[in-house]
Amino acid sequence: MTLLSSIAQKIRADLRAIPEAIADWGKKSRYKIDLYRRGKIGALQLIAPVLATAGALVLVTALLFPVYWIALAALSGDGGSLYSASGFKLLPDGFNPALLVTEGDLWMGMDLSAFVWVIGDLVIPSLRISIPLTGLSIVTNEIVLFEAANYGVDNPSEFTHYAWNSLTVAIPTVILAMAVVVPASYALSRREFLMRKKVLYGYILFTQVGGGLGLAMLIAVFAIFAEFGLTNDKFALAVYYAAMAVPFNTWLLKTFMDSIPASYEEAAVMDGAPPWRVVWEIILPLSKAGLAAVFIFVFLTGWMEFIVAQTVLRPENYTLPVGLFALIDEYTVPWARFSAFALTFAAPLMFIYLFAQRYIESGLSFGGMEG
Amino acid sequence: MATSDVTRRVAAIEPPRWVSDNVGLFLVLPGLFFFLSFVAIPLVYLIGLSVTDATLGTMFRDAPGLWGTVFGEAQFVGVENYASLLADSQFYRSFGITWLFVATSVVGKVLLGVGLAMSLTHSWVRGKRAMRALVILPMGLPAIFTITVWRGVFSSAQFGLANQMLGALGIGSIAWFNSRWLAFATYNVAEMWLAYPFMVIITVSALQNVPTELHEAAKVDGAGFFHRFWHVTVPAIKRPVLFASILTAAASFQQFLIPFIFNRGGPARANELMLLYGYREAFTSGEIGEGSAIMLTAVAIIGLFMIVAATKGELAEGAHG
Repeated sequence: MTLLSSIAQKIRADLRAIPEAIADWGKKSRYKIDLYRRGKIGALQLIAPVLATAGALVLVTALLFPVYWIALAALSGDGGSLYSASGFKLLPDGFNPALLVTEGDLWMGMDLSAFVWVIGDLVIPSLRISIPLTGLSIVTNEIVLFEAANYGVDNPSEFTHYAWNSLTVAIPTVILAMAVVVPASYALSRREFLMRKKVLYGYILFTQVGGGLGLAMLIAVFAIFAEFGLTNDKFALAVYYAAMAVPFNTWLLKTFMDSIPASYEEAAVMDGAPPWRVVWEIILPLSKAGLAAVFIFVFLTGWMEFIVAQTVLRPENYTLPVGLFALIDEYTVPWARFSAFALTFAAPLMFIYLFAQRYIESGLSFGGMEG
Repeated sequence: MATSDVTRRVAAIEPPRWVSDNVGLFLVLPGLFFFLSFVAIPLVYLIGLSVTDATLGTMFRDAPGLWGTVFGEAQFVGVENYASLLADSQFYRSFGITWLFVATSVVGKVLLGVGLAMSLTHSWVRGKRAMRALVILPMGLPAIFTITVWRGVFSSAQFGLANQMLGALGIGSIAWFNSRWLAFATYNVAEMWLAYPFMVIITVSALQNVPTELHEAAKVDGAGFFHRFWHVTVPAIKRPVLFASILTAAASFQQFLIPFIFNRGGPARANELMLLYGYREAFTSGEIGEGSAIMLTAVAIIGLFMIVAATKGELAEGAHG
């Protein structure tokens, strides 16, 4: 829990920093204006930062515009056109922040039907739990959390089905990969042995340069899967993903472990702790942030991979990326629905990624070979 | 008798010296074997397939003997696949367009990345940190999402963003994917958008290592913007940017999703990048043998990239996205 509380602390510090930064900026601006009034600096020096900031803002906005555009399209119900006879519109149809209440499938006046189509029906099916030896069984009621038909959407998307498939691929991937990554990164970080540098170097090389090697071998991988009758097998796919995730994540966790001071271990060894206790009580607890990051990255490997999944899986086992691609190849799906599907898929990942980047950052600075 | 018995027993319990010296190796080996078995076995199999006339139809049919178990009814044809590649005009087209794509997209990525990094570290710009955090956002997006969205941007349907922009300027719609060079340009735009965060991160960290005194000193000496850029900034960022360019060139060479999702390397196979070409031969035309030969060529080139990256050093320092 120390990890969570340290993250919470960082978030609080960040939130406090925002008003401070704005106040600071205001103070500096007043100071500059004052300097200008007293004739100490010229107009150019006063205006240049304003222009430069505005220019940078325009640049950043232009670069990120496609993301905003897709969000806009998702909220437009069915059309998804920015440009109409009346010119550009940069806000969704009917957007009105005064209407906070949800009315039907409208929220703040925006059309959420595309998202309703994506989520579809959320139902916890009725379960029958039999209690052994007594012959009794408990039957739970079917719980309907959300029903798309109530909002006028028939034929909802298969999002939840694909998400379940992705989950059943990603979880075995995580378990398998963690099982080999954790011991290996400990050894690479703390032990001296034959071939140590070579293994590490090979892993880094594969991570940085060899991203497409897996793809280049796709023919052989597919053929091997097919020979063993493993096409359309989600577990076989998870095994493959786990193997491919080994180099990057071993390296990542190793750099985390490098930052744990060796003196902690030395103290434990002096107190007579056997090696396994040193690992269990010192190394692993101190590398929690690293373990969390590796967990996220491996999970995302299984969650996001497209090409291999698309080659070996059949429609009933499609994972989310393959499902997304199947949508865009189907020209009958309205663009708004496609956008909502894509956003529901990508937005959580984006937040997780940026979060990991900012708050579990120590290990993402990638130390490398030394140590 | 008794002593030798004890020593023998101790020897049986105590692992030999080379084992206890290399305990770490035994912790690394499971992962290494696991990984290598998914690289080495397919690689060997790929080499095998590339010297047969395997097709999707013949290779899965059972045939007698070891050869038949592994390669089905496919026959050994030696280097015939490679010879026919050299006679195939599509091979040269794909090879050429791939290297052209590497060249144009790397130039674009470096210019965009370095330009952004420089403007987002400039002393005039306020809120630099927030903007930098925001601008690397594309890195957190799944590639399949980014590329399908860019396909929507360049779509010729009514919602296509690029055509809407042109419409606002009073220019008619363009069928982006139907013209060879327009499609090629859209590939470059998408690839630049995918990779610029990586360049920005590397360049920003390099720029922050330049002591401000150097710039101040140059200013005092009366150096203008271009002089300062050339003599202070460039020497400081040259090595990291060069290294990042090698990595990103390798990524461009291995680009598959953009042409695959945009228009399957079209129009009329004009923009089939290397990996897509091999994929197409193997899975669409069913020519597994020939597809394997193409993929092996690509593997050899990726291997060259690895050697270049390794000899250029700095491998470990090159931060990664």
